[in-house]
Amino acid sequence: MNRVSGHARGALLALTVLLLHLALFSDLKVLGVAPELPLALAVTAGLVGGSERGAVAGFAIGLGIDLYLPTLFGLSAFIYAVWGYSVGLLEERIFRSAWWINVTITAIATMVGLLTYALLGELLGETNLYTDNLYVVMGVAALYSLVLSVPLLGMWRWSWPTLGRPRR
Amino acid sequence: MVAGTRSRRSRVILIFLLLSSVTLLTLDARDFGPLQRTEEILINLLSPLHTGLDDLFDPVGDGWAGITGYDELKDENEALREELQRLRGQQILESDAVTRLEALLAQVQLPYVQDIPNVVAEVVTANVGNFDRYSVQINRGSADGIRNGMPVVTRGGLVGRIDGDPQRGYSRVTLISDPEFEVGVLVVGTDDVALASGGGDAQPLKVHKGLEIETEVVIGGQVVTSGVDRSRYPPGIPVGTVSAIDFDDARLEQLLTVEPSANAYNLSFVTVLLYDPLASDT
Repeated sequence: MNRVSGHARGALLALTVLLLHLALFSDLKVLGVAPELPLALAVTAGLVGGSERGAVAGFAIGLGIDLYLPTLFGLSAFIYAVWGYSVGLLEERIFRSAWWINVTITAIATMVGLLTYALLGELLGETNLYTDNLYVVMGVAALYSLVLSVPLLGMWRWSWPTLGRPRR
Repeated sequence: MVAGTRSRRSRVILIFLLLSSVTLLTLDARDFGPLQRTEEILINLLSPLHTGLDDLFDPVGDGWAGITGYDELKDENEALREELQRLRGQQILESDAVTRLEALLAQVQLPYVQDIPNVVAEVVTANVGNFDRYSVQINRGSADGIRNGMPVVTRGGLVGRIDGDPQRGYSRVTLISDPEFEVGVLVVGTDDVALASGGGDAQPLKVHKGLEIETEVVIGGQVVTSGVDRSRYPPGIPVGTVSAIDFDDARLEQLLTVEPSANAYNLSFVTVLLYDPLASDT
């Protein structure tokens, strides 16, 4: 499979998951909190594809979800790119790909990603982001990511099957 | 060596992406037209897929809401049964009550909102994330005459207002439950114009300014938009019913808790009132 085919698969996967999030997962709320599927998708892209692909995938997924959010256009793209990159970098430099580590990293990155999103959003003048409910949102969304990261990691591996681990 | 080059390349790409994000944020904050048109085109392109999947998965979402909200559903069911019994008992009085409300509204010189031109719109996207609890997107925009700040209603009453400059075929609605949402109101039967604001998720509205302590307000009193000079909202739109009354002794004002008359959750269709307060002055 060539590089173009890998990118096409990745784009198709991102689009499909984004639409599934809009149509289904955003309604599956527990304690009033929906899964943060797009953020988990960006983080798992970094875990499977490394920092570069994580940043690019995070940016693209963020732009996609920004179309439907009332916050400033580009805010999710910024945060998702940062976390896609950071998690990819961690994976390349520190962690190895044990499945439970990847799953845990996805959950933690979801929590921190939501926190940075709320803080940056408030800094840019958005309201109702940093609320009393934020820590509940972070906790429940992290639990969701814990579960959803397993299929998401599998799907990214399907998208980029020939991806070699970066040489150190 | 290869790892170093790869790492440098990743950093350059990240910096480029972050600068692009900052550019987009800046352009969006300045309501840059071409960016908004591009967003609209992309939403339109995705719309058939989005709508199709929405229809397909609607039963799943409803089923999930039934499972996770079983206790609330049970309570709601119980409340509805009681309400049904009460309504049966009052059926005969119903038409009289409507007549009395109309008379009351006429008494305080509130014109009917039916005369205002309006546009019916479908809610196309609601609550896609955890940070947009108080807004929905509708499939009508500037091409239909919708402008920033216009009131959005349902059969029950006020549910929100248009937030920001709408796109050609889409607008965003801020819901009445948003704590930042404020509307000038009048308790029917009084002359005091007060300020109501959203109370948050599934919470009643709060009337917290402008209602003098000696003004006679009763539990169950109707609250409507005041429509005072240059208000964004025409007078007489139902807002809610007074469910509790408190007193702010320091400011000599009454604080009201108001149950919204319209359900702002699970909206399918809404009506945008093409109301321009400046035009109505003339």
